[in-house]
Amino acid sequence: MVKLAAILAVPVALLATVASLGVMVVDVREAGPDGHRIVVPVPLVLAQAAVAVAPAIAEEELRIPDNDVLEHIGLARGVLEAIAAAPDGELVRVEEADEQVLVVKEGNALRVHVHGRNGEDVSVRVPLSVVFNALPRGDGRISALALAGSLSAVRFTDLVDVRDGDSHVRVWVW
Amino acid sequence: MKKSVLAAAFLAALVALPAVAPSAETATPWIHVRVEEAQKDSRVHVNLPLSVVEAVLEAAPEIIESHGKVHLGQHHGMKLEDVRRAWKELASAGDAELVTVEDEDETVKVWRKGDQVHVRVEKAGKEEVRVEVPVSLVDAALSGEGDSIDVKAALSELRKKRGDIVQVNDGDSVVRVWIDEQNAQAK
Repeated sequence: MVKLAAILAVPVALLATVASLGVMVVDVREAGPDGHRIVVPVPLVLAQAAVAVAPAIAEEELRIPDNDVLEHIGLARGVLEAIAAAPDGELVRVEEADEQVLVVKEGNALRVHVHGRNGEDVSVRVPLSVVFNALPRGDGRISALALAGSLSAVRFTDLVDVRDGDSHVRVWVW
Repeated sequence: MKKSVLAAAFLAALVALPAVAPSAETATPWIHVRVEEAQKDSRVHVNLPLSVVEAVLEAAPEIIESHGKVHLGQHHGMKLEDVRRAWKELASAGDAELVTVEDEDETVKVWRKGDQVHVRVEKAGKEEVRVEVPVSLVDAALSGEGDSIDVKAALSELRKKRGDIVQVNDGDSVVRVWIDEQNAQAK
């Protein structure tokens, strides 16, 4: 009995550790009676490790070439800082006959909601900390470590929610 | 028993407090832009805290050359310095009609009344553009030197302004810019 408990304790402890560090869950539900449901849990620590080692594999891909884009990074950073410090509220609403786009600041994140002409609904929540860390530094390099670290800030967050008819894709972190 | 009821009531009040507070109102001034095009059945609403507008202007060195001043140079044959001088002279005149341009089917009028500068453009007797700018805003914008508009001073004045700034109605589209303390536009 003690042996069994000891054997079970290892995976349970491992699972508990992974869960405590966060898990990103991708949940896909296909429409129709034969529609599949696919749930993929990815330990956040794995995603962080992948992002952290990315520069060793693709150094150039994590560097913005020295061009006009870099000149505007300061502006983007300034705007993001001001938005982060600003109170919550609706920033942009675009309404057309059959489409609607909404950008709302909610706490430390921006939520973008698109209602498409075919009835589809796309909702994306972008944590500002992730956007900050995704901005390149002065030399054009994106700090993979900072980006990996910022992923821990997205815990207990619905990142993506896409509904198209009966199909539903949801990505969240807990 | 009584203590636990009081504690529960206190907790409930704490939880309910954010719901009771006016969530749509903040002390931060927000600038709102609404563009409506009836023919396209299109509406664009942009709401930005003035602090974000300030950050954009401060972080864009190509727009703001230095110390929050925009250098305009010469426009339409009149230097900004001349505009500044004319504005100072008009300030002493008090309420007055500043400009009237009457074309075949268009009339443009600029006048000062009280603490507002009004601009009206009428086409075929119908009001198309209405702009109301506080005198203090023009004063602040023109407080720079040479060919510079003092954007920082103008923004500082805008922080005090509440209400409509610009209304344009050209038949096809309606544009409205105003400032209030609401973090969304009224539906």
